[in-house]
Amino acid sequence: MNELPFNAVLVANRGEIAVRVLTAAREAGLKGVAVFSDADAKALHVEVADEAIHLPGETLTETYLNSDAIIEAAKSSGTQAIHPGYGFLSERAEFASAVKQAGLVWIGPPPEAISTMGDKISARSKMMESGVPVIPGEELSVPDGADHLGQLAACAARVGYPLLLKASAGGGGKGMRAVSEPKMLRTEYEAASREASAAFGDGTIYVERLLVGARHIEVQVLADSHGNCIHLNERDCSLQRRHQKVIEEAPSPVINVELRDAMGAAAVRAAKAVDYEGAGTVEFLLSDRGEFFFLEMNTRLQVEHPVTEMITGIDLVLKQFEVAAGMPLGLNQSDIGITGHSMEARIYAEDPNKGFLPAIGELAMWRAPAGPGIRVDTGVREGDSVTVDFDPMLAKLVVHAPTRTAAARRLYNALSDLRALGVITNIGFLRQMTMHPDFLSGSITTDYLDSIDISEFAESEPDSASLVAIAAAASRFGLDRTGSLGGDGAMVDEHTGHAGDPFRTLSRSFP
Amino acid sequence: MEWSIAESGTRFTAKLSDSEGALNLADFTVDGQQKAHGEISIARDSQANRLLVEIDGSAHIAHVAKVGDDWWIHLDGRIHVVTGHEPGSSSDSSGDGGLTAPMPGTILEVHVKEGQRVREGQTLLVMEAMKMEHRIQAPKAGEIVSLNFSEGDRVDMGATLVELGD
Repeated sequence: MNELPFNAVLVANRGEIAVRVLTAAREAGLKGVAVFSDADAKALHVEVADEAIHLPGETLTETYLNSDAIIEAAKSSGTQAIHPGYGFLSERAEFASAVKQAGLVWIGPPPEAISTMGDKISARSKMMESGVPVIPGEELSVPDGADHLGQLAACAARVGYPLLLKASAGGGGKGMRAVSEPKMLRTEYEAASREASAAFGDGTIYVERLLVGARHIEVQVLADSHGNCIHLNERDCSLQRRHQKVIEEAPSPVINVELRDAMGAAAVRAAKAVDYEGAGTVEFLLSDRGEFFFLEMNTRLQVEHPVTEMITGIDLVLKQFEVAAGMPLGLNQSDIGITGHSMEARIYAEDPNKGFLPAIGELAMWRAPAGPGIRVDTGVREGDSVTVDFDPMLAKLVVHAPTRTAAARRLYNALSDLRALGVITNIGFLRQMTMHPDFLSGSITTDYLDSIDISEFAESEPDSASLVAIAAAASRFGLDRTGSLGGDGAMVDEHTGHAGDPFRTLSRSFP
Repeated sequence: MEWSIAESGTRFTAKLSDSEGALNLADFTVDGQQKAHGEISIARDSQANRLLVEIDGSAHIAHVAKVGDDWWIHLDGRIHVVTGHEPGSSSDSSGDGGLTAPMPGTILEVHVKEGQRVREGQTLLVMEAMKMEHRIQAPKAGEIVSLNFSEGDRVDMGATLVELGD
């Protein structure tokens, strides 16, 4: 057996992605080490880990964003490699450097690639050098107390309306505001820079032309340390609400072979321009005229990576481990195909009837569907509390089917079978969405949900007599006093909530 | 027991009659008025928290969970919340002018003063919760009777932020 550079992986994250990576580590025969804050002492990611290390402190800065404590946790537990997941420290070049300097294996791209792509200015100029098309825009850095409005207005006029203000250090829709006309500039700028400072500690703003009626198409790339770089087709994430993705799918319903090859080649050029290694995503906006523009590169695993895994049959986390271990990809571009169609719905604790306000509560019942073509990546289980401490995404419901129509139907059925009781979620909204003619026709653009009346997706009036009778009967039967532990008899891994599919998992090995 | 569905103010009552272990809906009222209803029969399933529901001859399965006064019901792929109210309890307090914090968070901006008249939809406060900004808007036109917080204050979920009079 070959000597591996690491036999344990510490996952510097929480929630569903920590569970995903820890499970992959275990499957690869590696030890999975979790870190957790006080609030997560009983979290699922701690339960699925072989070992879990407590990060003391109350704030994120003291815990999941604490590079020193996390590196120390790896060293003290004898863990040789760190996987950052997404969010948190995943795109902090200093953290990647610190991990390497500590003599540990960093499961991610080189720090230089993270910093070049993490800075929108340097990423843009790199892309322009490499012949990757970019959107008109510029950065605005305003020192405290300076007259920002004059500068901002001039900058906005150069870029052109409508425009988008984004936090330079941003991501995930925080600190991002659309401005349709000059008179809205001031209020939106102030809100954006406040959100940016609160979320990222950096108020620098990037002003960019907003392409109306565009689609969000991103290309998954995979590169090794031997100079091989390929793309794993695109994901279409056009269905967004306030720049948060709602349902992602692969392949895109609007991309033909020629465009896929062109965008794939551009994504590979982008990755090669920064000597990328590991799994990364190059995001593009595709205009209604078929032109595509580089948006940014996410130098990490993406939330929606499962849809790519479903259609290509390639486990991206396992590939990350292999690349970090110095192994060659062992894949050529011609090995990458597309099998069927995959969709992912993000299950959020939020109330669509109240402007998608995050919801909190206790998951009195959480039963995820299982079966052929259904995958659930979850960070929660029954009995967990949903609090305001973290991102309100509970799980990702992923389906795979032979055609797009079949995938949409499977997603609808899977959403209908997801029994999440005790916390308000967007499940009903997602169900309505998957059956909406605009979604089924594949004509959604990124501005769709922000421009349509959301009541379009409201569910019909329920039959009040049945519901009241059920509640009254449940009280009479005393169901509030029985424990909710019953089990479904479904073939679900008790740790991960994933349906055990031996034919999918047996073929995998590491290395 | 009176019931309401989701956050609607409509009150319902249901009388159930026992027959061979199943409960049949015998009487149904909406805001005190008797209403016609379908043939609804509910039986316990051997599995915990699962009910077999027959509605006009067709079989359905309902999963239920109780949290506080709320019954959460999963029926035909949809999730509903039915709230129980003790008889004689006053009608829902929301909608009578108090604007409450939808989430725990921090007040960022206060746009109104006590005594000020506001129009429907006017932004009264901006609060930050879960790293996002939320505008608290007037649900109706009226006068600001009281303002309970100022900029920078931390507020708990359900805290009354503004009292809005007519």
